[in-house]
Amino acid sequence: MIEQTCVDLAKAMDILGRYPAEEPSLIQVLQDVQRAYNYLPCDVLVKVADALGVPLAHVFSVSTFYKAFALNPQGDTIVKVCTGTACHIRGAGQLVEELERTLGIKPDQTTEDLKFTVKTVNCVGACAMAPVMIVGEKYWGNAKAARVGKYLGKGSGNDEN
Amino acid sequence: MRIESRADFEALQEQARQSAGSHGQQILVCCGTGCLASGSKQVAETFAREVAKRGLDASVGTFVKTTGCHGFCERGPLVALLPSGVLYTKVKPANVEKIIEKTVLGGEVIPSLTYKNPADGERIAAYAEIPFYKHQLRVAMRNIGRIDPTNILDAIAEGAYAGLAKALFEMTPEQVIEEVAVSGQRGRGGAGFNTSRKWRSCRRAPGERRFVLCNGDEGDPGAFKDRSIMEGDPHSVLEGMVIGAWAVGAHEGYIYVRDEYPLAVVHLTIALEQARSHGLLGANIMGTGFDFDVRISRGGGAFVCGESSALMRSLEGKIGEPRAKYVHSTEKGLFDLPTVLNNVETWAGIGAIIDRGGRWFAAMGTERSKGTKAFSLVGKVKNTGLIELPMGTTLRTIIFDIGGGILNDRPFKAVQTGGPSGGCVPEALLDLPVDYERLTEAGSMMGSGGMIVMDDRTCMVDVARYFLKFLTEESCGKCVPCREGLQQLLHIFDRLVEGRGRPDDLQIIERLSHGMQLGSLCELGKSAPNPVLSTLRYFRSEYEAHIHHKACPAGICRELTAYEIVPELCDGCHACFKACPVDAITGTVKELHLIHHDACISCGACFDVCPTAAIRTFPKVELKTEVV
Amino acid sequence: MPTLTVNGKKVTVGNDAVILDAARAAGVHVPTLCQFDGLEPWGGCRLCVVDMWQQGWDADWFKMVTACNHPVADGMRVVTASERVVETRRVVLDLLLARCPETPLIQRLAAEHGIAATSYEPNPTPTDCILCGLCTRVCDHIGVSAIASVNRGWGREIAPPFHEAPPDCIGCLACAEVCPTRCIPYSEGAGKRRIWDKDFEMLCDPVTGEAVITKAQAEHFAGRSGVPQGYFATSDTSKRRVMAATFSKLTVVK
Repeated sequence: MIEQTCVDLAKAMDILGRYPAEEPSLIQVLQDVQRAYNYLPCDVLVKVADALGVPLAHVFSVSTFYKAFALNPQGDTIVKVCTGTACHIRGAGQLVEELERTLGIKPDQTTEDLKFTVKTVNCVGACAMAPVMIVGEKYWGNAKAARVGKYLGKGSGNDEN
Repeated sequence: MRIESRADFEALQEQARQSAGSHGQQILVCCGTGCLASGSKQVAETFAREVAKRGLDASVGTFVKTTGCHGFCERGPLVALLPSGVLYTKVKPANVEKIIEKTVLGGEVIPSLTYKNPADGERIAAYAEIPFYKHQLRVAMRNIGRIDPTNILDAIAEGAYAGLAKALFEMTPEQVIEEVAVSGQRGRGGAGFNTSRKWRSCRRAPGERRFVLCNGDEGDPGAFKDRSIMEGDPHSVLEGMVIGAWAVGAHEGYIYVRDEYPLAVVHLTIALEQARSHGLLGANIMGTGFDFDVRISRGGGAFVCGESSALMRSLEGKIGEPRAKYVHSTEKGLFDLPTVLNNVETWAGIGAIIDRGGRWFAAMGTERSKGTKAFSLVGKVKNTGLIELPMGTTLRTIIFDIGGGILNDRPFKAVQTGGPSGGCVPEALLDLPVDYERLTEAGSMMGSGGMIVMDDRTCMVDVARYFLKFLTEESCGKCVPCREGLQQLLHIFDRLVEGRGRPDDLQIIERLSHGMQLGSLCELGKSAPNPVLSTLRYFRSEYEAHIHHKACPAGICRELTAYEIVPELCDGCHACFKACPVDAITGTVKELHLIHHDACISCGACFDVCPTAAIRTFPKVELKTEVV
Repeated sequence: MPTLTVNGKKVTVGNDAVILDAARAAGVHVPTLCQFDGLEPWGGCRLCVVDMWQQGWDADWFKMVTACNHPVADGMRVVTASERVVETRRVVLDLLLARCPETPLIQRLAAEHGIAATSYEPNPTPTDCILCGLCTRVCDHIGVSAIASVNRGWGREIAPPFHEAPPDCIGCLACAEVCPTRCIPYSEGAGKRRIWDKDFEMLCDPVTGEAVITKAQAEHFAGRSGVPQGYFATSDTSKRRVMAATFSKLTVVK
């Protein structure tokens, strides 16, 4: 379900100030909101609807249609496993399973301590490095299930696989 | 410097070329997403540091440049050296000093860093001699890997915007459309619709306001050519769009970039700013009085938004729901106004077509598929990466000559082309010349250019199920055949891969597939059955094995497959033990190892690492009949 | 004014007509689910598909299109029950029957097309909602947009924002009434109406005392039209009495 928490609306007002107050701005605004808050808080969506002149029902509809958006707070680190075709045949499934064994969560779930969210994502376009796992901003190509622990431990930095 | 005339542009070209030519040595480090994932950023930084430290930039005119994707991602990080033309592969920061000492300063090649041809073990130092590059003919990707995408002058030195200058100063909009018609260029996003026809239709549509759009929503899993173009040569896209806008009379444009391509957004943004400041975009382009500007719009993560009408709805801030095509978007598209939407690769080719002439482009390719096409060659192939070839090149050339053959020399089984809308082409058709018509006849399609090579360890039922799973999550849900049909097909395939297939399943699958092809609203639904139908066409026996014998011939479907170690071949190396994620293997080093069936999850990790091929698969049903 | 044939029968219809209009004019029945006169056609259910030929095409080349939104053209030939059209309708209804196995309308339509039971896996949580979109489309049309489609693909559903009582809903019941399977519940009584988990105060006719309209709806209409709210809070019976009284006072001038 959707959790309600008090959020600081200042960031949202700042974002809204950057775009024309009309419907075509909606998706760009929501992406900035997603990045700023790590999810789409209800209060912010109400503000967005009002500011852009879009019915709240449509804002909610768009928020649930596109995969880029989350309606619940995400973990500090998002772990993405690419499930593109090349990654699939080179073992992406094994990576997802290993993540489940290590973190105890399935894709689209967040650990209790809010540290990690696991997501499966569509092809990230690094198919030659299949299978690909992205921890935070760091891409791990030719990822191996046995090394998942290492990938999670090192969230950033340019070390090799 | 703002270009206000053709003379200004030519002066800038000259200045850019001189600057580019002034470098004694150039060290080109690939920083496309693939090489970045292998650590190329550190390699580039190390080069820059070492060159500066030795004062080589001043003394020998050595210049370190980060470029877009060279395409040979399997061998990254890639470093190319000019003017020698040497290519180094899998370069690490630790190799940098040696490269500078021996090659840059000493003119010697370091064999261990060069490409090793798997066919004969030979080392090839020259970029142009490596089979992967030798067969290529780069048009859309002409400058990628040569230029720094964040430096417009670099692009101009290599010919960027020359086509635009010709269009604006020597041609009328109608003549531009005619030139594109002569080229025979067809859309490179998948539909393959004739570009000039689309432009002509938009030009003739009534109304003042119209748009040109770039579809950068490359959603086919396995395709990354658009990403590489947007990241590695954004100016090729911009130039094409300005020419297109000139041709159809548009003053506004959008580039719709997939949410999953952040680097592309960064490089496109830089390119837009630089183009504007040089008068190549925005008001009064090159002093001609023609205004045209572009905005970048990020997708929200929806494959269906690659469909043109859904993309336009997304630009309007709505959900990505396609609509019926009875009213063409060239007449009523974005905001119900005349719109031209073309793919990234399509736009990237336009500048070259105008600059070198439509006839030049039409001289390449086949009768109905002119020019060149970018392909991403991935999967179980040795040389994975991005290539561009004339249309009509055969699959065999692509996979074996350029791709170097199948990974680990396993048998070739099929190549999947066209993404979730395409199909699998089997060995018997390897001599198929690749073009729009031939691929469609074979039951597949060109699509975005993704080519996923599969070996004998690929289950075709699992492949079909994979695409169905993908599409069930991407269907917008508007129309019954797609929304409900995909779900029902997936239910059937879930049963098939788990050994719960029923005798009439194939008949139901075929009937539903045809119903979806006929009844769906958009191409997502209409083409969704293609992977199913094409695997049924060429690999029916695999389906029958799943249904009637509860067996997976490829040894992939976990519920149907058991693994065991063949005693005579096991040398006790312990690799399988280490690879097993559930500790189902017992054994000590140098002793025979054993897989415990009750714990084994049939993931195949042990099979993949065994150096002596001592692990075999067999149908799980045989387990129950064994006496243990 | 284009002239075309539907199953061989010639009809002439208006310039802006769609194939469905032509079929009706020709007395030919084409089944629909997501179509509703007065609302923009949507083309989502795919039940109204027909085969159509246009001038300039090869003699045997027909295209399958939805009748509800495809424009007519002079000389067009429409076939409403070709083999592939009928087969497509069957697949659509078979799929809907799997989704909505307990819904009378779907059971009836499926039976009319020769489908007694679904060929597919029945929905483990049967629903009456066929996702025709009529409810959201009529709500948008009225200018309220209180509900919308949520999620995509098979998980798609119709819901108010955050699955809570929709702030914009005016309780007009248009969604409930346009729904082909009557799957939007509402209740009324004691001067109140409840729909989408939202309670509405009803305005009552000053004379008859009957509950006429929700306060929210009266405000919405008054706001859009400039007509005083009181007009909307008058029951039809009272309106008729007022009109009758007015007419009775008129004198006819010969």
